[in-house]
Amino acid sequence: MDFFSDGLRRGVELLFAGDAEVLGITLLSLRVAVFSTAIACALGIPLGFVVGTTRFWGRRAAITALNTMLAFPTVVVGLVIWGLLTRRGPLGGLGLLYSWWAIVVAEVVLAVPVAAALTAAAVQAIDPRVRRTALTLGARPWRTHVAVAREARFALLTAVVVAFGRVLAEVGAALIVGGNIRHHTRTLTTAVALATSQGDFALAMALGLVLFGLALTINVLLQLFQGRGGA
Amino acid sequence: MLSARHLEHRYDGRTVLAVEALDLEAGRITGVVGPNGAGKSTLLRVLAFLERPHAGTLILDGHPVRTSQDRRLARQAVTLVEQRPFVFPGTVHRNLLYGLSLHGITGRDAAARAEASLSRLGASAMADRAARQLSEGEVQRVAIARAIALQPAVLLLDEPVSGADRGALTQLYQVLDEERRRGAAIGFVSHQLEYAYRWANRVFALTDGRLSPLTPDNLFRTTLSEAAGPQIVRAGPLEIEVVTDKSGPATLLIPPEDIVVSREPLHSSARNQYTGRVTRISDDGRGGVTLTVDVGVDLSARITREALDELEIQLGTELILSVKAMAVRVF
Repeated sequence: MDFFSDGLRRGVELLFAGDAEVLGITLLSLRVAVFSTAIACALGIPLGFVVGTTRFWGRRAAITALNTMLAFPTVVVGLVIWGLLTRRGPLGGLGLLYSWWAIVVAEVVLAVPVAAALTAAAVQAIDPRVRRTALTLGARPWRTHVAVAREARFALLTAVVVAFGRVLAEVGAALIVGGNIRHHTRTLTTAVALATSQGDFALAMALGLVLFGLALTINVLLQLFQGRGGA
Repeated sequence: MLSARHLEHRYDGRTVLAVEALDLEAGRITGVVGPNGAGKSTLLRVLAFLERPHAGTLILDGHPVRTSQDRRLARQAVTLVEQRPFVFPGTVHRNLLYGLSLHGITGRDAAARAEASLSRLGASAMADRAARQLSEGEVQRVAIARAIALQPAVLLLDEPVSGADRGALTQLYQVLDEERRRGAAIGFVSHQLEYAYRWANRVFALTDGRLSPLTPDNLFRTTLSEAAGPQIVRAGPLEIEVVTDKSGPATLLIPPEDIVVSREPLHSSARNQYTGRVTRISDDGRGGVTLTVDVGVDLSARITREALDELEIQLGTELILSVKAMAVRVF
């Protein structure tokens, strides 16, 4: 227990000392997470809208596929992306492997199904009268989508936050395609894994606290937003 | 204005609508009555281009509506007010402006039209209230105001009389009548026969998705005075004494079974007596006969075969038809 509390105490000290290493890792992690979430949502939310609101052949299969992709083992996704980006792979020419962009690519693959599946569920749950009312008042299809999105805005925001959470907390794929290179591809999660295996429990704890703090902040912001938007 | 031909619509392989022909004409109100589950709301959603029928054609203003583009344009001319209308968050006024903006009407024009519509439905005081906090009846009035603000060529209403109190109903009827006179084709569905007869120029019955014209004999449209109790009203060439506490536009029904037929005037309690000649005799094959008697208009009277023989009634026979004021049904 002493070991644990000691580690925790030294972790907090490290954090408040403004350790450059911790700050650098945090900023990189945030950069990766923001880019990945933005790209994943730009792709996933429209995809979820289509799956959730339109009737097409194979729709049920598409929903099953999306839900299955939610449970994809992240190391397998990492492995596949590694295979594509490695010098001998089909996309090797891009020279992305072991860069932070490689992590973004892997995280986008992991987060698109999250954004899409949650969006599809959100828009499916919306009262069908929203769409009908907008249409009968003369809305073009895109204005109808805007009306539905407006009704589903909190659920859509939740989709964004969950996608962000998934990306921020992901370790397996980031480790494989990023390589955990100091100052380049070392994210909060990969750094925690490394520090723990090297026996630097205090550093791991400090980074873990940052991760925890980020997750908490985002959820508090979400709650505040939902509370204010009410009705 | 809007015509449907050979419509068929299915849910999960089950046919819910099979309508051979329906015409909503400009300047007329068409009522469709039917029990719950008869397919009334589905019919309206198909007519409003919100659901695509599995078979059949909808013709708007003489043009068949086929492609998605056609349907989108058709929705600019056809508006549906649902039974439980949906209102968007924000004020009542904003709800009306939203619809108008979708028709390219903004700014002062839109504000003026929104206010005029609300005022016609006696809903001006609600303009700045949050639409989501209104009562069911208020939401319905707002939804109708939102629809008429668009001045649709075809206005469809799902159970417009449910949830409205008597005062609101009179106002609603006035608004629909004004819209009709503006040239709109109006269609509404209801499970209340009474309102279909009072409001509509033509009434159809919808049962299990199938439409049939509802034309009971001896129906007269009239306007009742405010006075309660017995009153004499004009219905075409007839003067009919009725007992009712209703007022305003009404439909009178003289049930053919409640008409007493005689060769001589009766000294009886019947307050209404009409003289005319028999123009048609049709035997129902089950011992009953329906006589059509021209008393200025055609009145149908049902009597038994024995009575027909006893009174020696033939085509051209002059008859007296007697009806108690209490027997005249008022819708």
